[in-house]
Amino acid sequence: MTFAAASSRLVGSRINRKEDPRLLTGRGRYVDDVVVPDMLNAAFARSDIARGRIVSIETTAAAAAPGVVAVLTGTDLNPLLAGPIAATPTLGMGSPGPHKVLADDEVRYVGDPYAMVVARSRAEAEDAVELIELDVESLVPVADYTTALLSDERVHPQLEDNRAGGMVQPLDDELRTLLESAPYSATDTFVQNRYLAVPMETRGIVAWWDPGRMSFDIWVSTQSPHDVRTVTARVTGVSENQVRVQMGDVGGGFGQKAYLARDEQIVILASYHLGCPVKWIEDRRENLVAATSSRAERATVSIAADQLGNILGVRVDHIDEVGAYPMAGSAAMMGAVIFTGPYRIPKLSFSTDSVYTNTCSRAPYRGPWQIETYVREQAVDSLARNMGLDPIELRRRNVLQRDQLPYLLPIGLSLDHVSPAETLEQAAAMIDYDGFRAWQRQEFAAGRLVGVGIGLYIEPQSAMGPYAAEPAHIRIQPDGSTDVYLGSGSHGQGIETTTAQIVSENVGVPFDTVKVHQGDTGTTPYAFGTGGSRSGPILGAAIQLAARDLRSKIVEIAAHQLEASPDDIEVTGGVAAVRGTPTRARTIGEISRSAYLDLGALPPGMEPGLETLKRYKTDMPFLFSNACHMCTVEVDGSTGSVRILRFVVSEDCGVMINPSVVEGQIAGGAVQGIGGALLEDFIYDADGNPLTTTFLDYLLPTASDVPQIEYGHVETPATTPGGFKGVGEGGAIGAPAAVANAVNDALHLVGARVREAPFSPARIVEALEAVGR
Amino acid sequence: MKPAPFQLHIPSTLEEAVGLLSQHGEEAKVLAGGQSLVPLMALRLARYEHLVDVNRIAALQGIAREGGWLTIGAMTRQTTAEAHRDVALVPLLHQALPLIGHFQIRNRGTVGGSTAHADPASELPAVALALDAEMVIHGPAGGRVVPAREFFVSTWTTGLKPDEILTAVRYPVWPGHCGFALEEFARRSGDFAIAGVACGLEVDQDGDVARAAIAYFGMAPTAVRASAAEAALVGSPARGADLAEIARLAASNTDPGDDIHGSAGFRRRVAAHLTERALERALRESIHA
Ligand SMILES: Cc1cc2nc3c(=O)[nH]c(=O)nc-3n(C[C@H](O)[C@H](O)[C@H](O)COP(=O)(O)OP(=O)(O)OC[C@H]3O[C@@H](n4cnc5c(N)ncnc54)[C@H](O)[C@@H]3O)c2cc1C
Repeated sequence: MTFAAASSRLVGSRINRKEDPRLLTGRGRYVDDVVVPDMLNAAFARSDIARGRIVSIETTAAAAAPGVVAVLTGTDLNPLLAGPIAATPTLGMGSPGPHKVLADDEVRYVGDPYAMVVARSRAEAEDAVELIELDVESLVPVADYTTALLSDERVHPQLEDNRAGGMVQPLDDELRTLLESAPYSATDTFVQNRYLAVPMETRGIVAWWDPGRMSFDIWVSTQSPHDVRTVTARVTGVSENQVRVQMGDVGGGFGQKAYLARDEQIVILASYHLGCPVKWIEDRRENLVAATSSRAERATVSIAADQLGNILGVRVDHIDEVGAYPMAGSAAMMGAVIFTGPYRIPKLSFSTDSVYTNTCSRAPYRGPWQIETYVREQAVDSLARNMGLDPIELRRRNVLQRDQLPYLLPIGLSLDHVSPAETLEQAAAMIDYDGFRAWQRQEFAAGRLVGVGIGLYIEPQSAMGPYAAEPAHIRIQPDGSTDVYLGSGSHGQGIETTTAQIVSENVGVPFDTVKVHQGDTGTTPYAFGTGGSRSGPILGAAIQLAARDLRSKIVEIAAHQLEASPDDIEVTGGVAAVRGTPTRARTIGEISRSAYLDLGALPPGMEPGLETLKRYKTDMPFLFSNACHMCTVEVDGSTGSVRILRFVVSEDCGVMINPSVVEGQIAGGAVQGIGGALLEDFIYDADGNPLTTTFLDYLLPTASDVPQIEYGHVETPATTPGGFKGVGEGGAIGAPAAVANAVNDALHLVGARVREAPFSPARIVEALEAVGR
Repeated sequence: MKPAPFQLHIPSTLEEAVGLLSQHGEEAKVLAGGQSLVPLMALRLARYEHLVDVNRIAALQGIAREGGWLTIGAMTRQTTAEAHRDVALVPLLHQALPLIGHFQIRNRGTVGGSTAHADPASELPAVALALDAEMVIHGPAGGRVVPAREFFVSTWTTGLKPDEILTAVRYPVWPGHCGFALEEFARRSGDFAIAGVACGLEVDQDGDVARAAIAYFGMAPTAVRASAAEAALVGSPARGADLAEIARLAASNTDPGDDIHGSAGFRRRVAAHLTERALERALRESIHA
């Protein structure tokens, strides 16, 4: 059941991606491809203990090593910081001051940088790092987030405790009574493992302060080039117009590259103070250990229903960790906003604590608040089991129907233009839910454990603060070719293609003549950056606005030149013609040339040129898309291993610009979710030592570990220009819940249950053994 | 992830290579396909001042049938062996090779490298041990042959001296009514096994088990034979053997470690399951052979 392009319209068509020929033939240009004259290479000295007091750092031998230009410590660089290192618009909490890029008093996690070597080559830099002698007195780390608030140790000694943030919503009497006295209820604690963004391209930067031109050129793997410029100016003290940032192709970000971390800032400071270009390309071990951490949270959920299975209320107690130096901190607040999600649940109490720990710093990761779906969907299954209902039946009784919209969420926000009931039913039909139940019974009789699981959710796109707006700049050149300049850019999403589709259709120029430029602060308008699944709804709306604006101007010029009424002008395929009289026509090239060069041919009083810059801003605090993931699994009763049999996603992201791009986004997210649920686990031991520091132990799903994902689409347009909604993060939100529920559906056949992810063979065997299997 | 500085030597004869190894002693290491050595060096978990690259030594290449033996030159790539017609004569090897990593790794990785590296979770050492293969070794004093049982000492440790090179592995071709099965359990395809077993059985005219070999990998610091279970099988009728019981006995006599992928108990449970499946397959095959 896939979308069939009904018309020849470009928006909505499965046109091939513009970026693919270059990316798939190895011609992408990433940061490591940037080479500038006299470029030096950096390597970090990183702590190998979780917490310790720095007694001294001896750098003499390292400084004398072959090829070494400088060895920089916190004593050198921290005093040079001209401003705070925090992310610019900190949504949620950041790390507390005093701001330091290099550890100079305490090392606070394994991987914490305390020195940097700048040398001719990376290999020489690494050799020299080994010669740095760190004298460190180890201290008791705060390694376990679940007990961090009880610990006498402090991650940041200037703080009263290890609390980084949170929210206590006292349980009101009505909800308390409901939970205690409802005919049916369930209370469980669900644990989500720590798993990571792991972009294929690690972080990296080339920073080049040119003391002659008094300007910075920066190439960086980022999601937010303009913010990189802002931060660069802030930490070095130069002005923003002295900084040019280019991002090139980016091999995945997923939130990890939303903010400029300490590591990149150190490189920028080093270049500024050494007056020469410095490159740092993070290696894989650094990326796993020291880039960013994510997930690592748990929640206790109580949920209650009446006799008929109407859910009455939910209480959630949640805790997560933000590591030592979070750039954005916890996203639990967003989870609280959308916790009741696709269901009619009148009452909610949500409490959360975020704690500092001596672990790698937290950053957003694709659907950073997805704990809400992860635990809610498992709690709904628990409640269904306690009622003796099929999990889909309990959902059917509570899912929001179209005629119940807009629906006022318990937190007071209005939810509208979503289709949870439709996606639930579409997914159920695709996977043949009822047929599966019959097959499941047969298979169980033959000794096999198979199960089906559901992950139903609403995906909010925050449009708060700077997230509300995006610019798009379009310029048609004198030859009729079109340039589009975007301040936010693609780190794998296919924005070059979808942008060209919107522009082509709304201006009326051929798709192939549209070129999209992104992520260069020297040429593109200031934008906040790519994240939060905003490229479809907000950036897409801006592009549409700009495209239509330009089309109006083309129509006006053509009408003037063809002596027709603007109402009679059609623009398609790069030609403006009088409707019904195709011979009375001007090509876009002709119109454009006159707009720049033959000014007398323009309508009187018209501003010359053929370009426009539009900023779209929404007034809604959130936009909503929604989806339902369903999967079937087989659990091996001997080894505990899980094999996914089928994986189905019914998605409503409003108007689809390109269904193939939509499905690519769903697939990527779903695979990350499957990885997190079954394989990926970044583990620290009790002393805060990471145990999964290479791909030998940190297990990513490979192509042979994941099923073909099957897609269904429902299109409920948004009210924004274009009607597009976000789809970048949802796959990673729904998949872990669907997998968790499917595994437990299979285990339920023998009375077993696992509440802690990942659903590893060892953990499943433990649950099977607990019920005598 | 750059290795510490080292000097690379590329000899073209065995004598030259052995000479370099004797000259540099503990500071030198043989470089074969590099699929284990290079990552260890890049992570700086291993460092050697001298690498002796044996990729150009013709004497280490090739696959040959000689009497009851199949001899595989140490530098034979795993993919080359996998595709070689004669390797089917040693079914355990034939089954084991495709399970080593991914084809990109096997394109570089060598039969000798995997055997000499002696990773406890590797397939090839267990296969060599199960079949009572022989290691052909060359050192400053000339050649010697060491049986597999004496070769594998512990994790990444073999009977090779620092100045010796493994030149070939000789696998016996079992005659008679035989069956072989290799089973392993890994989190993903291509991963090192969490537990694995290689079984070989021979059934005599009367339908009794004449010879039994059960070798585990991933279950101890090195590949190990399950001697008690083998003894319990030999002499008993092939049909009707309580394979589940024998598999349990075999697995319970191992002493695997705990790690993030599973406890010792988990490994034993999985190993018992794999052993039962492998014995079933091997037995079926030997009865029909
Ligand atoms: C992602 C990945 C997955 C893998 N999965 C598996 C797996 O599932 N199973 C498995 O068994 N292996 C696996 N490996 C390891 C791989 O199979 C290697 O090929 C093998 O272990 C070593 O062979 P090599 O030729 O690459 O040896 P090298 O890496 O070159 O050498 C390994 C060691 O053996 C020594 N050595 C090599 N040849 C000789 C010789 N002729 N004489 C004396 N000493 C010698 C070297 O000095 C070195 O100490 C994996 C590797 C990777 C990178």
